[in-house]
Amino acid sequence: MPTHAGTPLIEARDLTRVYRRPRTSLTKPGAEVHALRDVSLTVHRGERYGIVGESGSGKSTLLRLLCGLDQPTGGSIRFDGQEIAGLPERRLRFLRENLQIVFQDPMSSLDPRMRVRDLVAEPLTALGLPVGDRVAGLLDAVGLPATAADRYPHQFSGGQRQRIAIARALAPRPKVLVADEPVSALDVSVRGQILNLLADLADELGLTLVFVSHDLSVVRHVCETVAVMSRGEIVETGPVDDVWAAPAHAYTRTLLQAVPTLEGLL
Amino acid sequence: MLSVDGLTVRADSAELVHQVSFAIAPGERVGLIGESGSGKSLTALSLMGLLPEGVTASGTARLGERDLVGVPESRIKDLRGRELSMVFQEPMTALNPLMRIGAQVAEVMTLHGRSSPEARARALDLLGRVRLPDPEQIFRAYPHQLSGGQRQRVMLAIALANEPRLLICDEPTTALDVTVQKQMLELIAEVAPALLFITHDLAVVASVCERVLVMYGGRVVESGPIREVFTRPRHRYTEGLLAASKLTPRGTRLPTIQGNVPPAGHFPDGCVFRNRCPQATTACEQVPALTGDGHAHACWHPAD
Repeated sequence: MPTHAGTPLIEARDLTRVYRRPRTSLTKPGAEVHALRDVSLTVHRGERYGIVGESGSGKSTLLRLLCGLDQPTGGSIRFDGQEIAGLPERRLRFLRENLQIVFQDPMSSLDPRMRVRDLVAEPLTALGLPVGDRVAGLLDAVGLPATAADRYPHQFSGGQRQRIAIARALAPRPKVLVADEPVSALDVSVRGQILNLLADLADELGLTLVFVSHDLSVVRHVCETVAVMSRGEIVETGPVDDVWAAPAHAYTRTLLQAVPTLEGLL
Repeated sequence: MLSVDGLTVRADSAELVHQVSFAIAPGERVGLIGESGSGKSLTALSLMGLLPEGVTASGTARLGERDLVGVPESRIKDLRGRELSMVFQEPMTALNPLMRIGAQVAEVMTLHGRSSPEARARALDLLGRVRLPDPEQIFRAYPHQLSGGQRQRVMLAIALANEPRLLICDEPTTALDVTVQKQMLELIAEVAPALLFITHDLAVVASVCERVLVMYGGRVVESGPIREVFTRPRHRYTEGLLAASKLTPRGTRLPTIQGNVPPAGHFPDGCVFRNRCPQATTACEQVPALTGDGHAHACWHPAD
């Protein structure tokens, strides 16, 4: 069932990831943990794809596999037609150039000893790309003054740090921006600023967005398609408005009912 | 029962909480909301006598006939965990990893003078009361064997052990999954004798409390019954916070409050919100007083 008009950009088929717990006995190996079981998904070019789930649902494992930060136990992941499962790091350059990540906690994702200028330029220098005057342009794009370049992360608030993290992710001109709970650590008054910024940048730069959150209402604001995860599986997927209005899976209904909303309470 | 008057918290040069006054009646559930840096946690910690080194509180806070602020540690130690107790945000770090759960719940009772066998029996009861499955097994377990939600229930059992008159909860569900949060909130509302509930989440406070205090820049800027404050906010900060909490449909702009929360000690004089307020005028250079009966606000240009 096609959910988007664009061509497929990320195609995951039957992804499985099994971890082994540390052994607790001398004679027996540790227990196996099935973090992902046969997960398949397709993210189309230009699509805003949301992944929702609670802790232990496997969403972080899935994200690590999609970003080439971990190897699946089974299954395949194609990025723009190229298989990435099983590739060594030295052959993942095309993925690193085209897919960048914004992490949840801007307090820990930015090296405290690097100036903002170097933080934003680092993905470029790491890939051997020219830096030129890109830093000023990137800072401007995320709404930070050019003077920010000479300062350190601790001199900024949480929302400003998340802007720095976004500027850094956009430096190599990626096609895909993966955002892992990008607003969960932020204050409510700043959350809207960052979500608006992500939407603007996705529009201007034609980005494909993979947006992970525990909050279906945030995903509904940002994404057009959603996959709901529970216990290592995608239990429901489809256009976010349909899932929101008529959740088909019992777990999705539980999740929707559990989130307190002001509209529902007042 | 609890009455706080002119509570001010200082760290050598900066004033972090300024002249906060409020009261909580027996059985009442009061929410304290605000963003990071608003002073809400410091307010709670000063009631518990748990302010960090170098941070001092002045003003008065009384729980019944007992003073909580400006009294020596030896006096507050007697009250803490008995007359008032607190559940913290991080259930992962609040429990001792080397002690069994049952012993940790019992400890708070033996510290306040109960006999050991009695404390152990009661600890088992309490674990059941916070609806932990299989209390006997949990009693013997170590913290790492429990999930985050279960640990937070244990924290609640510890807090309730001596039947305190006031329970303070500081973001008790922020680290929990939403489905677990829901159960935890229902439990807190049910068991709390009187509650001061601190959170940054407006929907969470609306689902637990009856009355709310809105803090910004170390001051209470608005207070009143939840329904009134949230449906008819007067202070422009509350108004902005409520607008920013509602997620509009995809493709529309989210309403935001301009700028960022300043770091402690860098809030403007006069109205603390004026550098972010769309309605600010020169009048706002003077400090607005918190005025109004029931539903009070401190704003020169209130909404409506």
